Amino acid sequence: MASTEIHRYLRVGAQRIALDPEGYLIELNDWTPSVASAMAAEEGRELTDEHWEIIMVLRDFYARYEASPAMRPLVKAVGQTLGSEKGRSLHLMRLFPESPAKVAARLAGLPKPANCL
Amino acid sequence: MQAETVLNGDVLVILRHPPHGSSWLREGLDAALVAAAFGQTVSLLFQGDGVLGLLQGQGPGPLGQKGSSATLDMLAMYDIESLFLDARSLARLGLSTESLQLPASPLEPPSIAELIAGHRLVLTF
Amino acid sequence: MILHILNRSPSSSLVYRDALAGMGPEDRLLLVEDGVQGALPSQVRHFEVVGDRLFALREDLVAHGLDGHCDASVQVVDVDGFVALTEEADKTVSWF
Repeated sequence: MASTEIHRYLRVGAQRIALDPEGYLIELNDWTPSVASAMAAEEGRELTDEHWEIIMVLRDFYARYEASPAMRPLVKAVGQTLGSEKGRSLHLMRLFPESPAKVAARLAGLPKPANCL
Repeated sequence: MQAETVLNGDVLVILRHPPHGSSWLREGLDAALVAAAFGQTVSLLFQGDGVLGLLQGQGPGPLGQKGSSATLDMLAMYDIESLFLDARSLARLGLSTESLQLPASPLEPPSIAELIAGHRLVLTF
Repeated sequence: MILHILNRSPSSSLVYRDALAGMGPEDRLLLVEDGVQGALPSQVRHFEVVGDRLFALREDLVAHGLDGHCDASVQVVDVDGFVALTEEADKTVSWF
């Protein structure tokens, strides 16, 4: 679940976006593509088209099911939307290293997934 | 739906409480999702007033408490597709499977016992 | 054999019906907490189908002042007996 404790602010243009201790948005409505880019830039990464299409799959998932997916359902959702080539954990691990479900949910402006390690 | 013929799996979650009023249904569904996220094959049995948790047209509570219908839709994404209900419970409430949001196989008592025996772990909520 | 554990009385909750529906022919039923009321001769008919596989926890019977009021068909076990029943079972299922 999204934390309500403001830990720090992320500067995006003229705006200050509140983040929780793990870097997830406090206000889910604050999300814009610029917020995602700024989050990625902080980690020294740039979002490519391949990142964006996953981020949009995640945002659709949340709009439909009111929850952030764990890894398995994320892989399944990506497979259903973008095809089986991309619906693989390897593809997601390459784009969002370490913990794709958590890293990508953060960039997509969703709460931290509850059902994963 | 072929699910009705398969009465075994790793984890069976029995949901006996209706939506709202308590958090049992929500917690049971969460437990099922966690088990599925870790690769367990999960079955759900809706029993007693818990069958109301399958009803179509559920919404948020009057104070905005989250309902379970989005979570029900999400079960398939976690590969939770073995859904069962106690046929007597549904009949007692005067409802039929046509009023349900998801297809669940109605079971009579001997099959319910078989379902419970067929799972390694049984959790009741 | 599965050990089913019931902690509600048949006069206040219908959960006992769900427990009975879930029981196989070898399964055992243990009444605990408020469930021990079901061991009274006036209530025990609800568990008729369980036959001699019906148990009640002595400590809860004593706590409720029901020790000595049990129907003869009920096997009374103490906590050690509860542990033994659990060990003999493939798994336990709680009904509440």
